[in-house]
Amino acid sequence: MTSLKTPTPDQLCFQPPTALKELIHVDCASHVYPDGTIGIHQMCFRVFESEIVALCGPNGSGKSTLIEHLNGLLTPSEGKIVVRGRLIGSKEAADLWKDVGIVFQRSDDQLFAPTVLDDVMFGPINMGIPYANAKSAALSALKAVGASDLVHKLPNFLSGGQKRLISIAGILAMKPKIIALDEPTSDLDPLHSDIIERLILELKNKFTISVVIATHDLDFAARIADRVCLVRRGSICAEGSPADMFYNDRLINGAGLQPPTVVQLYRAMCIEKGISATERPLTIQQLVEVTSKKIVE
Amino acid sequence: MPTTTFSEHIPDLDLITWYAENNKSVFAFMSPWTKFAILTLLVVLVTVLHSIILLISIYVAVICIYLIAGLPAKKLILWYTLPILFVFSLIGILVWGEPGFPLISLKIFGLTAILTDKGVLIAISLLIKALTMVTFSLFILMTTRYSYLATVIERIFPAPLDQIFLLSYRFLFLTISMTAAMLKAVCSRGGGVIYSIRMQGKIFAEVFALVFIRSFDRAERVHKAMIARGYKGHFSMNNEVPAPSQYGMISIVIFSIIVIAILIASQLKWGLNIL
Repeated sequence: MTSLKTPTPDQLCFQPPTALKELIHVDCASHVYPDGTIGIHQMCFRVFESEIVALCGPNGSGKSTLIEHLNGLLTPSEGKIVVRGRLIGSKEAADLWKDVGIVFQRSDDQLFAPTVLDDVMFGPINMGIPYANAKSAALSALKAVGASDLVHKLPNFLSGGQKRLISIAGILAMKPKIIALDEPTSDLDPLHSDIIERLILELKNKFTISVVIATHDLDFAARIADRVCLVRRGSICAEGSPADMFYNDRLINGAGLQPPTVVQLYRAMCIEKGISATERPLTIQQLVEVTSKKIVE
Repeated sequence: MPTTTFSEHIPDLDLITWYAENNKSVFAFMSPWTKFAILTLLVVLVTVLHSIILLISIYVAVICIYLIAGLPAKKLILWYTLPILFVFSLIGILVWGEPGFPLISLKIFGLTAILTDKGVLIAISLLIKALTMVTFSLFILMTTRYSYLATVIERIFPAPLDQIFLLSYRFLFLTISMTAAMLKAVCSRGGGVIYSIRMQGKIFAEVFALVFIRSFDRAERVHKAMIARGYKGHFSMNNEVPAPSQYGMISIVIFSIIVIAILIASQLKWGLNIL
């Protein structure tokens, strides 16, 4: 991605919810890395309260760059990003890391402290929380992610799944309003992916935290997201509900992706059985219900 | 028990940390402050002592402590290779030409080098001193939980030394595991450390250069992740390190008295033939 023109969105079928409060507003933001690589280009993106929004796109499409903009790690070279009323790059946004937590793709980059407890306490202590309260917040966060038994372990002796849980706990301990996770299930086995998936749902439902997920795992996005944004060449080319996005081949293929397995399987079954694909299942459970109903019919 | 070994003769950080976290001997419950105080006194003691008998006695005592703590004896012997090489690289120059009874005489490039009985005693004394300190340091590392060790170091050393230590610890593990993974990849395709250096030295040099480049890259990512959690240049440990117990204090006092007595005796030349 080195030379781009202003993108024209193929389709923007997302209608903004009026009842929900807007937390993040990315307004035509662009970012060019020092070596000339374009990270994001005229990106427009919003995050509302208590929603899970999935940024889906192939490698190098700009998902991670966008995530790093959300708490001010990167500032846009063009356009503006406003997080909870504060403009990124301004003085008032200096402590934005308290509101937007980032869980990085590689947990080894995030876990640096000698023990799990020290690492999870790192954020709360930087927030100026007294030691006893920071410890209590860290222990609560570890309990919330189901990793209380790892409290005194050393990060280098943990498995990949455990490291990912600790990374999330480190962010959860800061009690942010928004958590952005970069490829949260990459390199994880199905069991640990499932644990992370349930945890993300819990972040939204139990802690009312808005979650932004960058992923190229569309099966995962289909199961978990309230809203899907397709990212292509540093811009959002389409956004809408998972069913609207994943059952639209033109959008999915245009973004350089392939439909989720459930979608492919459902279509193949419909063709095999000679029935019309009127429903739009996204999870295995929905697929089973729909196919059972069709067989009965 | 996790291990990351390039060679049996290089201390394995993973194994050392595993013992530190899982050791259940009486020494694991001893205050780290007590151990560090004894280490300091031991450094002073072995520095001023010249008597081979006393040095051997101290070395045997340290070995006994190491074994009582349930630490691996075979590994210790293998890990002695590097300190022994270090000592011999020093005494290779020092021991020749010492006054005393000549034992060996060598003529090299027209120069005569004479090894005397005192030269041999210096070699033995330096070797025992080095092995004593290596053994006791390993004993501390393998019986003290890392969180305690890091907290003690943070409190002893001034900034930025404490920060360098705290941040380099995990980074060191990651770099070692990265190097181990690369060496594994070399071995999986018929290579080997010595063989590959001999046959494909240039490639091997490039592999190690790559480790450093990747390390820098990783350091940048770690730093970014720290800033994302509000890092402003200071990372502090907040663990409570147990204070020395009554017995710990008594042992520190007794050991201090012994060291001071030996220091005074050596200054006043009392019992010169022993000290």
